[in-house]
Amino acid sequence: MLSLLWLIPALPAAGFVLLVLLNRRLGRAGAAWIGAGSVGLSMLAALLVCGSFIVSPPAGDACRQVLWTWMDVAGFTPAIGFYLDAVSVVWVLVITVVGFLIHLYSTEHMEHDEGFTRFFTYLNLFVFSMLVLVLADNLLLLYLGWEGVGLCSYLLIAFWQKDPQNVYSGRKAFIVTRVGDTALIAGLFLLLTQLGTLEIQPLLRAAEQTWAPDSTVAVVAALLILGGAVGKSAQVPLQTWLPDAMAGPSPVSALIHAATMVTAGVYLIARTTPLFELAGDARLAVALVGIVTLLIAGFSALVQHDLKRALAYSTISQIGYMILALGVSGWEAGVFHFGTHAFFKALLFLGAGVVIEALAGEHDIFKMGGLARKLPAVFVTFTVGAAALAALPFVTNGFYSKDLVISTTLGTADGNVWLYVGSILGAFVTTLYSFRLVWVVFFGEAHTEVTRRPRWRQTMPLWVLAVFSIITGFLWLPAWIGAFHPLEDFLDTALPPIEWTGRYAHFAESAGAAFVIILIVYGGIFLSYLLWVPWRRGTHAFAASPVVRPLAAFWLGGWGFDWLYERVFVRPVKWFAHWARHDLVDYVVDGIAWVNLAGWRTLSAGQTGRLRSYVAVAGFGVVLVLAVVVLR
Amino acid sequence: MASVSLEHALILAAILFAIGFAGLLTRRNLIVVLACIEIMLNAAGLAFVAAGARWGQADGQVMFLFVLAMAGAEVAVGLAIAIRFRQSLKGLDVDDADRMRG
Amino acid sequence: MTVTWGDLLTVSPLIALTLAAVAVMLAAAFFRSHALALGITLGGLAAAFGTLFVAASRAERDVTPLVRMDAYALLFIGLLAAAAAVVVLFSWGYLDRFRVHPEEYYVLLLTATLGGATLAASTHFASFFLGLEILSVSLYGLIVYAVYRDEAVEAAVKYLVLAGATSAFLVFGMALVYAQTGTMTAAGVSDLVAGLGDDVVATIGLVMLLVGIGFKLAVVPFHMWTPDVYEGAPAPVTAYVATVSKGAVFALLLRFLLPVSSDQGSTVFLALTAVAIASMVAGNLLALRQDNVKRILAYSSIAHLGYLLVAFLATGERAGLAVGFYLIAYFATTLAAFGVVTVLSPPDRDADRIDDYRGLGSRRPVPAAVFTVVLLSLAGMPLTMGFIGKFVIVTAGSGAALWAMVIVLVATSTIGLYYYTRLIVAMYVRRRDEAGPAATPLPAAPGGTLGVSVLGVLTLFLLVFGVYPQPLLRLVEHAVSVLPWP
Repeated sequence: MLSLLWLIPALPAAGFVLLVLLNRRLGRAGAAWIGAGSVGLSMLAALLVCGSFIVSPPAGDACRQVLWTWMDVAGFTPAIGFYLDAVSVVWVLVITVVGFLIHLYSTEHMEHDEGFTRFFTYLNLFVFSMLVLVLADNLLLLYLGWEGVGLCSYLLIAFWQKDPQNVYSGRKAFIVTRVGDTALIAGLFLLLTQLGTLEIQPLLRAAEQTWAPDSTVAVVAALLILGGAVGKSAQVPLQTWLPDAMAGPSPVSALIHAATMVTAGVYLIARTTPLFELAGDARLAVALVGIVTLLIAGFSALVQHDLKRALAYSTISQIGYMILALGVSGWEAGVFHFGTHAFFKALLFLGAGVVIEALAGEHDIFKMGGLARKLPAVFVTFTVGAAALAALPFVTNGFYSKDLVISTTLGTADGNVWLYVGSILGAFVTTLYSFRLVWVVFFGEAHTEVTRRPRWRQTMPLWVLAVFSIITGFLWLPAWIGAFHPLEDFLDTALPPIEWTGRYAHFAESAGAAFVIILIVYGGIFLSYLLWVPWRRGTHAFAASPVVRPLAAFWLGGWGFDWLYERVFVRPVKWFAHWARHDLVDYVVDGIAWVNLAGWRTLSAGQTGRLRSYVAVAGFGVVLVLAVVVLR
Repeated sequence: MASVSLEHALILAAILFAIGFAGLLTRRNLIVVLACIEIMLNAAGLAFVAAGARWGQADGQVMFLFVLAMAGAEVAVGLAIAIRFRQSLKGLDVDDADRMRG
Repeated sequence: MTVTWGDLLTVSPLIALTLAAVAVMLAAAFFRSHALALGITLGGLAAAFGTLFVAASRAERDVTPLVRMDAYALLFIGLLAAAAAVVVLFSWGYLDRFRVHPEEYYVLLLTATLGGATLAASTHFASFFLGLEILSVSLYGLIVYAVYRDEAVEAAVKYLVLAGATSAFLVFGMALVYAQTGTMTAAGVSDLVAGLGDDVVATIGLVMLLVGIGFKLAVVPFHMWTPDVYEGAPAPVTAYVATVSKGAVFALLLRFLLPVSSDQGSTVFLALTAVAIASMVAGNLLALRQDNVKRILAYSSIAHLGYLLVAFLATGERAGLAVGFYLIAYFATTLAAFGVVTVLSPPDRDADRIDDYRGLGSRRPVPAAVFTVVLLSLAGMPLTMGFIGKFVIVTAGSGAALWAMVIVLVATSTIGLYYYTRLIVAMYVRRRDEAGPAATPLPAAPGGTLGVSVLGVLTLFLLVFGVYPQPLLRLVEHAVSVLPWP
């Protein structure tokens, strides 16, 4: 069964090729069957392979399948190989299951769009690239997948390409993530030259054996990898592209910008755990990035008017939690939160897509309202998702994963009180903004009429994701509830277990810490109800008051990062480019072009078209060589 | 009859070859050009015969026969092309055939 | 010496080609039928391919001192037969609208392939000369085949005169070498190259031999006929000239002049280095702002032969691997490129102006896509065979410390990127001043479906072996291992 591993990425790839070749000849139905079908089959293959992996794990708790060596020249032998262990199992299952549900949803959501076939072509290519990324057994292949998802993200953000604003958003996403990608490439070079290989497992073993803990090379390598992760996962300071990426269709936001691509950074760090274990300073940097991001994004989400932008900031914030967990050596906690988040965030985005479509393209939450009765299925599922996001105690998966993450900030050797306080504050803000969305969108009076209702292909995925958002939490119960943690046992086969050795470990693991969270969440829900249902006018007046207004605007604009980057980077570079447009480098570049053109002109003039001149040139050449021969 | 030394034969062949090549470079009539090629080929054949004589083998003369046969075939095709050339360019001047250049 | 039945079996590929040519001639005498001629031709090429395995099973490989059918020769004959078959398939649709009878075309193609196959298996001056001349004379006929087109006649005259002149040089060179060494075999020439020393006359002879070879390979300074002949000849014939005639001669070059790379100071080595560098530079520069697609491809092929010479001049087994693999990649890309030109050509002329290709991406997406892959492979983009080929050549060249040539290779490849990309852009990007389709809309060619399917197969070949080249690399390695490396 494990030998079917290669099918998992191959099926979406085949779907992509088919969609490209048969492009004009396929109708909507054909494209939908191929596009969604290939991912559906991939999901089946994934279930079979991962199921077999979980039930009867292979030797060494990992399975490697090398398809072929790309080339074997001068000792350089990059191979196309896949590697499956507990970490990749989690990602593969999320990508294929959530991916399939989103594909199914898209067949109805995009049915009136003229670029229907093109949409599924890009989506299939994306799923293929993402699967290659998480299954790659060497960093070169991983980077191929990394670039592939970046390309697809650009193509899909700018999908409605007739509007130049969408294209700018796509371009911004591409450029900002490029900064991270450059760091990653530098890191790969460093690893290759220092350790001699890019195959992941041998590389990690070599690092453990030859690099001393906290040595400079380990810290630098880990920081460069963090750089790559920060770009792809939209963490501070490279988070500015994700809110603008909401220009793409909602299924794109759900799949790429919530569940999968943005978690590629989390995966990368989880994959290279030994490197981070060797570099304490890098871990600190990781934790700092996480905590800063989750707070900044959380506050920004609180003041957004646009439904999808609010969810985008929320995504940034939740990934901050995952990164934070990784930074305090809570590796498995970060993976757990990734899994739970994928389900409820995809659910929220898909629900948002239905709402926006139902209201004929309205994005502003304050123009929505009263949808609880008009769109009951969406209301229920969206609320489940928001509850999971807010970590509603005991019944949602978000509670268990967020509780674990927050506990690790206090309970591990790397944890400290400030991180704990920050994450608690973040949880409070999360609850506030997530239920704000519920109250404003679904309650109160309806400001816009519902013109389109979803049918089963859109609502069924919502229900399925809602169910997953509840049951997947029970895979890892906290110690104080009971000793049921199959997920932890599973992840232990691939990742170092969480070591509760911090000063406050005893408190962190106890029911007391969970009680704090429970208080925060219920308090937040209650407060959000008050602020946005009975006291809504008061809240708005407060927000518009001269003292608070600048602060709200500041948060709305993402804490001014875009403003800052525009002034620090974009404008100076443009100014410099304009000033330097006739500089020395120009002369070199123009000079090269001039030399080439001059060469062309001379040689072309030599092609006279006259036979005798051709003979003459040949004869001249011969005579020249013969002269050299004779005179030597 | 005194035998001719290899060097002398080769020098004769080389002179003939050079004459043919010079004609190729200077003459503009296509038929004359073909004739110059013939001169060059025969000069080379002569060199072969001389070389064969130097080693006392028949191989040189056999090669000359090959060259002769091949030259005949080439001339046959070449003259057919020359006829077509005259038809399309209204003359046998090779310098007129410079429509394709650059 | 007697020629036994066994010997005939060993040279059965050559016999198959001869019989096929005769069969087509006879058939044409009785029935004037394009389809019949095509069928017999393809049958003959298939038979030639099939008898390769018969020949491979024979233990004794030398048939008279003239010909050796070893694995190397068999690989190249197979390659040439395959290329000829592809050209034949392209010609079907192209010739249907010709104003001359097409049957003799196939006879000439078969005899040309026979000449090329003889060259690939040749180990003696006699078979070298015969093979070369059979190939050349057949090509004279093929180039001038569209007799009603002025440019074809002009091209044929240029080719005829230059081929005749350079073969005279070739024969004279052979005579000089024979005069000095007393032998006409490839082994003798190899020994001569290996231990040249001060024999001036022999060196002169070798240089003159190279004149004949250089003309066929279209390298500087014997390249000047290339753009004119490529432009004037009918497109499938151009495909043939660009691939089979060069490939056959290159195969022979490897066999005769193998040890040239062992002495990097020898005159022949320096001469070939100069030729390689000049070809890479001139080929790429001349194509820079060329407007005729066939001429662009002609200059590009000059440059590619320069790259091949770099591979040839590097030492050892890896050089053979690089040469063989790159040659196969070059065959596939060139055949596909001229195939696109063939498939797109309207009845009265060839589709060789850049204007014919503007907006092709939307008008004829499949040929446009094929052409894009071909151009990317010629430029050496990863995921195509061209990339693997260039990578292997650079590795071989670096291994032999041929720094000047490797640097020129890389620099000129970059120049090449410009004109290849220019073509791709012309196909896909519509300029703002264009309202709709291009000025000269190209009608769908009859028999175009066959041509397009062949193009599809070639493109697949380029992409598959760009991603998974190992089997082909192993095959080539096996074939070149039979040559005695210095």
